[in-house]
Amino acid sequence: MSVRRRVVVTGMGSVSAAGCGGSAAIAAALASSAERIAPLKAFALPDGPSRLAAEVDDGELMTLLDADAVRRLSRICRMAVAACRLAAAEAGIEGGARLGLAVGSEYGDFRSGAEFFSGFLRRGPGGLSPMIFPNTVMNSMAAVVAIAIGAKAPSVTLNQATVAGDLAVARGVALIAGGRADAVLAGGVDEIFLDVYRGLSALGALSPMAGGASEGCRPYAPDHNGPVMGEGATFLVLEEMEAARARGATIHAEVLGSAWGGIPVAPHTAPVSGRDAHRTVGRALDQAGIGPDALGRCYGSGNGDPALDDWELQLLEADGIRDPVSLAPLFGQHGGLGALRAAAGTLAARIDGAPTLVHGIARGGCRAALVIGRAA
Amino acid sequence: MTRVVVSGLGVVSPYGAGAKTFWAGLATGECAIRPLTVVDTEGFRSRIAAEVPADVLSALGPSRRRSRADRMALAAAREAMAEADLTPRDRMEMGLFVGAVGGGMLEGEEWYCEEKRGRPSPRLRALRSILPVSHAETLAWRLRLGGPRETVVMACASGAASIALGADVIRSGATPLVLAGGVDAITRICFMGFNALKLLDPEPCRPFDRGRRGMSIGEGAAFLVLEDADHCRARGARALGELLGAGMTTDAHHVTAPHPEGEGMIRAMVDALAASGRAPADIGYVNAHGTGTPQNDRVEALALVRVFGEGHVLVSSTKSLVGHTMAAAGSLEAAATLLTLQHGLIPPTANLHDPDPDVPFDCVPGTARPVELGAALSNSFGFGGQNVSLVFGR
Repeated sequence: MSVRRRVVVTGMGSVSAAGCGGSAAIAAALASSAERIAPLKAFALPDGPSRLAAEVDDGELMTLLDADAVRRLSRICRMAVAACRLAAAEAGIEGGARLGLAVGSEYGDFRSGAEFFSGFLRRGPGGLSPMIFPNTVMNSMAAVVAIAIGAKAPSVTLNQATVAGDLAVARGVALIAGGRADAVLAGGVDEIFLDVYRGLSALGALSPMAGGASEGCRPYAPDHNGPVMGEGATFLVLEEMEAARARGATIHAEVLGSAWGGIPVAPHTAPVSGRDAHRTVGRALDQAGIGPDALGRCYGSGNGDPALDDWELQLLEADGIRDPVSLAPLFGQHGGLGALRAAAGTLAARIDGAPTLVHGIARGGCRAALVIGRAA
Repeated sequence: MTRVVVSGLGVVSPYGAGAKTFWAGLATGECAIRPLTVVDTEGFRSRIAAEVPADVLSALGPSRRRSRADRMALAAAREAMAEADLTPRDRMEMGLFVGAVGGGMLEGEEWYCEEKRGRPSPRLRALRSILPVSHAETLAWRLRLGGPRETVVMACASGAASIALGADVIRSGATPLVLAGGVDAITRICFMGFNALKLLDPEPCRPFDRGRRGMSIGEGAAFLVLEDADHCRARGARALGELLGAGMTTDAHHVTAPHPEGEGMIRAMVDALAASGRAPADIGYVNAHGTGTPQNDRVEALALVRVFGEGHVLVSSTKSLVGHTMAAAGSLEAAATLLTLQHGLIPPTANLHDPDPDVPFDCVPGTARPVELGAALSNSFGFGGQNVSLVFGR
């Protein structure tokens, strides 16, 4: 095994229900107690039990984009481009053959897929738009970001429920550590779209999943009854440490450990009996050279899904970690949430220096772990 | 540096189930592009595709609980795992990298159609399997794979990218074993989308032919068991070949069109060669991306000239035989490249009757050609300017 290249965080950008901006905006959102989960405004919901969401303010998003981008890009691509530009600007990086992308998403550009297909349902083959079709492929966000930023190293899109953003950060770290890139914009993006929202609500995948308590996002709480959908894009600039130092970049924190695994459980399930033979968290801690007792905090992926919350607590307890903190009540569940956890861990390390575990587990068993601490 | 070998191979292709069936079709040069039956083609410019035959699909197992794509993925993955002959303990360490785009969209489209017609659909559960990630969840569960897991969505380079990224994970030391490959089933959106872009040839595709008019879509799945060479040797397993190197780049130029000079393609091939420690002259054969669209083939030929020199390598496109299987294409072509090396026989480019003078290579028209090869390269490109090149050795 070759010597692992060290990876640091030199910038971040976010578009979320809590607002848009770089590290200062994210820090302010984390510190604020303002309620972002509210009744859906983007569209009317004639049926279904779910009504809440954490929505991006399109007016604020538009201020980050030029007219050409607004005209050409789908809404989810606008969010991805805006967040990546914010992150790249904060880090002061430019495009090139050594800049890569790692984009996580739960649903991709479902809106474009539905729009494309609806054209056919309305007007037959003549109703199909060749302009929309490319957006239906889930790597369309990475494609437009690569063009906007000039990222020419590998651009990897990962599809994953619940942990898309943190998995993409782990993938970004691996691309740098393995030498495929010197810097990577890594994070996640999703948008709320009517058909997806209604479908998930009808499937009982959103709060209030099984009725009972009122609708809301209450991770790890006794009355948790499902996730509330959010949207947005959050990206971190990851860089090889020596390259970042050489160009005099501001180093926010170091990714001390990074691992991801998969627990073989039935699709869409979260059984508390599922054990992690791969030792995902243990591997990340081993890379960081610390034990669980050295952690200052843990940001968990708890989103209010009772089975998933309970499974996560059990897995973490087996790893010697208790009392994870969830950011889902602030931002809603979406592909960028894992990257927001990583951003929060980065900001925490900058403040008190204690390493943070960023943890994620999804129904179906995909698990990710990042240990983020002050760069030595 | 850790060497990565291939110790298992499984394929479901338009020829049928099994790597042997796949190779038999490639070696005989049989074109599996036929009238499309899985979706309604009325009113479209192109009405053909390379489908996995219905009787083959039926033999893959029950269809009520799994999508068409899931069933193909599971069959191909099981074949690869059986060949590698791994213990349950090996499997619990094993990573899983799945290249996918369409997911269970074929079934999801049926739900969507009914919803839009105002009828509550009994197919609501199809939504759970609509996303590409559903394949990885199904494979991990059915095969009991407990290592790192990713669902890689890189358009038509997805299958090749999953192999490159899976090998990287082995080289990082995270696991000695990875199951990597790709899968895609034909969907209405895909068929209609490429038709709308006028990228489909109404006749079976003719890569590198002067009169080529576009591609033919296809479907299938292929998975490779990638293994740390030392691990493979220690357990007494047979290596089918070696993944010598991989290159991955992005054009950052246009969402659907390649860079006009093939800049990203060139970098992918050069990176793959550098990683493999091989010179261009060491490569005897290139399994080209070779879609049959005027633009792709012209630009790929430009890039091949820059890397290898005019006429200095044999080139063929197996898409002329099994269609463009989208997310599965890179893994099917990786399998084809490995089998080419094993058998010393280059699969032909079908339907190539009038070679394009802008493609200054021997593209092995019509009939497979026996050639002893030490190493070969497979190209996969995709929307979004995605470029992946894999170098395999015997």
